[in-house]
Amino acid sequence: MIEFEALKPQNLKEALAVLKERGIDIKLLAGGTDLLVEINNNSDRLGNFKYLMDISSIKGLDEIENEKKHLIIGALCTHTQIIESKLIEGNFPILVRGAKTIGSTQIRNRGTIGGNISNGSPAADLITPLLALKSSVILKSKNKKRELPLQDFITGPYKTDRKEDEILTKIKIPKINSDYQSSFQKVKRRQAVAISRINLAVVTDIKEKRFNDIRIAFGSATPTAIRFLKMEKKLKQTQINELNFDSIVEQTGQEMVEIAGERWSTPYKKPVVGNLLIRALQEIIREVQ
Amino acid sequence: MEFNHVHKSKKRVDVYEKVTGRAKYGADMRFPDMLYAQTLYTKYPYAEIKNIDLDKAKKQTDVEAIITAEDVPNNKFGVIIENQQVLAEDKSLFIGDGIAVVAAKTAKAAARALELIDVEYKELEGIYDPLKARKERSQLIHEENESNQVIHHPLRKGNIKQGFLESDVIIKREYDTPFIEQSYIEPEAVVAVPYQENSTITVYGSIQNPFATQGAVASVLKEKLNKIRIVQNHMGGSFGGKDEVVSSMAARAAILALKTKKPVRLVNTRDQSIKESYKRHPYKMKYKIGATHDGQLKAMQIEAVADSGAYACQTPFVTWRSVVQATGPYEVANVKTDTYGFYTNNIYTGAMRGYGSPQVIFAQESLMDELAEELDMDPVELRLKNIYHNNSITASGQKLDSHQVSLEEVLIKAVEKSDFIEKYNRYKKEQTGDKKRGIGLSISFRGCSLGAEAIDAAGIILSLKKDGSVNLYSGLAENGQGLKTVYCQIAGEILGLDIDRINFMEVDTLISPDSGSTVASRATLIGGNAVKKAANNLKNRIKKFIAESYEQTEDDIVLKDGKIYGKKSIEIMSIAKMSSMAAMEGVCLTSYGWYVSPEISWDEEIGQGNPYFTYVYGCQVAEVEVDIKTGEINVLKMTAAHDVGRAINPANVKGQIYGGVMMGLGYGIMEELKTNQGYIQNTNFDEYLIPTVKDMPDIDPIIVENPDPDGPFGAKSIGEPTLELGAAAIANAVANAADKRIRSLPINLEQIIVGRKLSKGGGQK
Amino acid sequence: MQKVKVSLTVNRKKYNLEVDPDERLLDSLRDRLHLTGVKEGCSIGECGACTVIIDGKAVNSCMVYTFQIDGSHVLTVEGLEIDGRLDPLQLSFIEHQAVQCGFCTPGMLMSAKALLNKNPNPDKEAIKTAIEGNLCRCTGYQQIIEAIEAVVKKDGSE
Repeated sequence: MIEFEALKPQNLKEALAVLKERGIDIKLLAGGTDLLVEINNNSDRLGNFKYLMDISSIKGLDEIENEKKHLIIGALCTHTQIIESKLIEGNFPILVRGAKTIGSTQIRNRGTIGGNISNGSPAADLITPLLALKSSVILKSKNKKRELPLQDFITGPYKTDRKEDEILTKIKIPKINSDYQSSFQKVKRRQAVAISRINLAVVTDIKEKRFNDIRIAFGSATPTAIRFLKMEKKLKQTQINELNFDSIVEQTGQEMVEIAGERWSTPYKKPVVGNLLIRALQEIIREVQ
Repeated sequence: MEFNHVHKSKKRVDVYEKVTGRAKYGADMRFPDMLYAQTLYTKYPYAEIKNIDLDKAKKQTDVEAIITAEDVPNNKFGVIIENQQVLAEDKSLFIGDGIAVVAAKTAKAAARALELIDVEYKELEGIYDPLKARKERSQLIHEENESNQVIHHPLRKGNIKQGFLESDVIIKREYDTPFIEQSYIEPEAVVAVPYQENSTITVYGSIQNPFATQGAVASVLKEKLNKIRIVQNHMGGSFGGKDEVVSSMAARAAILALKTKKPVRLVNTRDQSIKESYKRHPYKMKYKIGATHDGQLKAMQIEAVADSGAYACQTPFVTWRSVVQATGPYEVANVKTDTYGFYTNNIYTGAMRGYGSPQVIFAQESLMDELAEELDMDPVELRLKNIYHNNSITASGQKLDSHQVSLEEVLIKAVEKSDFIEKYNRYKKEQTGDKKRGIGLSISFRGCSLGAEAIDAAGIILSLKKDGSVNLYSGLAENGQGLKTVYCQIAGEILGLDIDRINFMEVDTLISPDSGSTVASRATLIGGNAVKKAANNLKNRIKKFIAESYEQTEDDIVLKDGKIYGKKSIEIMSIAKMSSMAAMEGVCLTSYGWYVSPEISWDEEIGQGNPYFTYVYGCQVAEVEVDIKTGEINVLKMTAAHDVGRAINPANVKGQIYGGVMMGLGYGIMEELKTNQGYIQNTNFDEYLIPTVKDMPDIDPIIVENPDPDGPFGAKSIGEPTLELGAAAIANAVANAADKRIRSLPINLEQIIVGRKLSKGGGQK
Repeated sequence: MQKVKVSLTVNRKKYNLEVDPDERLLDSLRDRLHLTGVKEGCSIGECGACTVIIDGKAVNSCMVYTFQIDGSHVLTVEGLEIDGRLDPLQLSFIEHQAVQCGFCTPGMLMSAKALLNKNPNPDKEAIKTAIEGNLCRCTGYQQIIEAIEAVVKKDGSE
């Protein structure tokens, strides 16, 4: 049986002070929509912990700061808050699209962007768009603050680089100009409350009818959500009217296998990742034309 | 024909409690000193139990008792074959077998105690494929048997060899369906209370068939039936699934209650429920069909193998319905059908809405479309050529002459309403884009009620009080399907009373007449007839009393709107007044109605006879959109035409159609219990997927009414027919859309893209 | 486990509770406050049977530890009725035959209530989104949607 004591720091400072002292025995709790499931299931991923520190009521961690070159989203921003934020819809509609597909209304009212990232699921519907947006995360500990790219923060399936005395406090996303388009694709086994079978985030601008700064991130296709750098390189500078669909499908599948190896799901995922990419690109092209 | 109470969408009688949260379900029951019980399940599907050490667990704070198989007076029960263990004795036979049950003062204490029980196992190699279990000299799941065969039902009609010789076209196909979980939203719950009033034990809970559970508990405890009382709480859905598993839980809780002399509550979590409760039988089916060039069916040869899992449970009856209905509603002169059930060490299988029909319908309706394609006919054409009409002879040799055989009516209505022909032909042609549309149909006939399974009878007690209010006691139970309301409507129609004057009492084995189980879509048909009898008995007594006391003739007396009218339609008095007067005169105002179904017949050796006394007919049309790049299927529309005889409550009938269509949709495209070497991989709703509101297609219900001479006011059945057709219609629609014929359920992403199911395979969870 | 002091307002009444750290809001409501209208269907936030409204938002009460929401306002199905008067949603569910076994009903009502409190004029898609996390195995959802739509229409016409 899993037993623990409750900790409920009043503010961030207090939380970080406690983490400094006893971080190794503490599990962080925000929205709870992933953690309570793991506790219910007695999941191996939990490890041993003595304290559950609830940070969900710490004020100020769910704000959205509109800076000149960045949007900074507080880690405790719930999915509902993301969906309802005009700032986020205006700057990064793909994030709203991704958030809308997470769980149910009840889950979205509690689940947070920080939690979605920290859980580190390969299928996380915010991680894929955030990668395509070249986001970074900000972690605070009692005496330090560090920033690192999201890709480096996720170190493996359900694993992150968070140190035991740190709290993920903010997500920093560089703004993109109005030349940029985006597309979010999600394959699911039913129409709602569904984990991504595969998800895809494409963010790109188009200059002179060519893909320019194109970012392609897949979730649920490889051990962690990841940008397919080879496909990005291949498509960069490609004419949008001269796409070779067959070769894109083949090469995308190939890159997936290069990253993830052959698995039981490969016969399904290999063609579908390419199909999704084509679909995303076509959606973007339609917007532009 | 005009009615006042039946054929009206009256509001359900139990809704008020349900919308206010007042309705008490099994897990809501509280008693003073109540203990919390939890079951320790086996670690391995098939293993010898070498030793169970309870010492540490017993010493745990707040633990009051722990039982194992040793403490069970009679450890094996079963309605058909008594081989279901209450708790694992020498061996665990499937992953949901319980080893021990702890009763403690708090749920937490019980959970802690479970962790302290030490069990020594010897893991054994089990059998997880019924086709393997079938082989001669395969190891025996139940050592007392000669083989792993639970049952074999043969059906022989005409001359099968001759039939194929007369066929111009012969095709052979194989189909299969998976384990399915009933997925009632309320997990199983019982509370056993010792020595209440005159009963040794009273069990409250989410109990679909109180009399079956009463029988099981009495047999397990070696007690007399009249000392065991079962009370059915509001049930959060059942769909066939709260029978044997709940009986087993009731027995466990009862033993603990008698041991501790305190009420004992045993409630499953969802994971426990999925792991231990029986499922719908997976079927592997082989069909061979022969027809002439112009589409006349000449011969059908069918073999269906069901996985019975560890216990017999309902397998003999489930596979029996399959043998009767496996050909589908088509005139075929030569039929050879064999249905089988085999034991394995998989989770055991039993009743689930449909009961052996959804599997064969998926096969037979897919097959008809495949045959139509071979013959270059459209699906409607081929069916019209072969379906039953009045006086047709079925595969079991029954002449359908007692009721209106409305197959053509439901088929045409559904086909016309859904624009089937035009769409089918349009979608067959090349479609541009990644999303292909398709339309498909399926039809069925379904034998109503139990048929040859068991004696088919039900009883009702009506008690008219001195103030004109009524208590109705029924042996058949409300699962949420609206039975209470329908019975009150029938009684109300006859007695001229509004349904809010009739109080439908909770099924309580203390008083309710044993009417068998609330299954087989029999409650309106059989139970409704019993209500009618009881109400008519009462009405006749009232008429006699009034006639004698007020110089009226019985024929002139009418009961309507709570009043009694006599000669020249003059009002005599209110029913309330009459009740008090009649009571004072010593007239008996309690009446009993006992209804026995018309005769049926069945020859086990050759599968011939009149297996059901009446049938219902249905047709569903599915329109889908298949994304051929991702494999996703969107069911856009379902048209469902069902002949119900008479809709006692049309809104309820619609509710059954909506619910059944959704369950069929789940069966078709998303539901599948994943098992591997006896372990269950998806034990909760995050991975066992049932449809959400967003999966709901546009549903168009068509209620067809051909009053049945044997039904109360002509009504027959709706509960199961609505779910058994969806998967086949969807499979046919997918074939029309994407030119992909999928012969295995569910039709999921991988099957569309890769052409087969993919699974993790190997290893344990 | 050390108990934690929590003060909650539930259905407009204030309670001071002492709860275990791992006590879910679902457990506090059902076992301490005897509000058994809140149902447990899956324990992992998938079925929605345990839906309640916390500070105006629909939430799965099996996914919240009570110690997390000190000071919050909680509304359960029992709190919909005020002075014996049923909520329009409750009346509409009765009227439209939106209830069969009734086990999903409290959760459905709370999701619908939360929606209408926030958005009095939702379209069909918004209604579906509000209840997509409430599984029903009996009704096929159609009559539930009709019941909620009827309340929207009624409010709109007044």
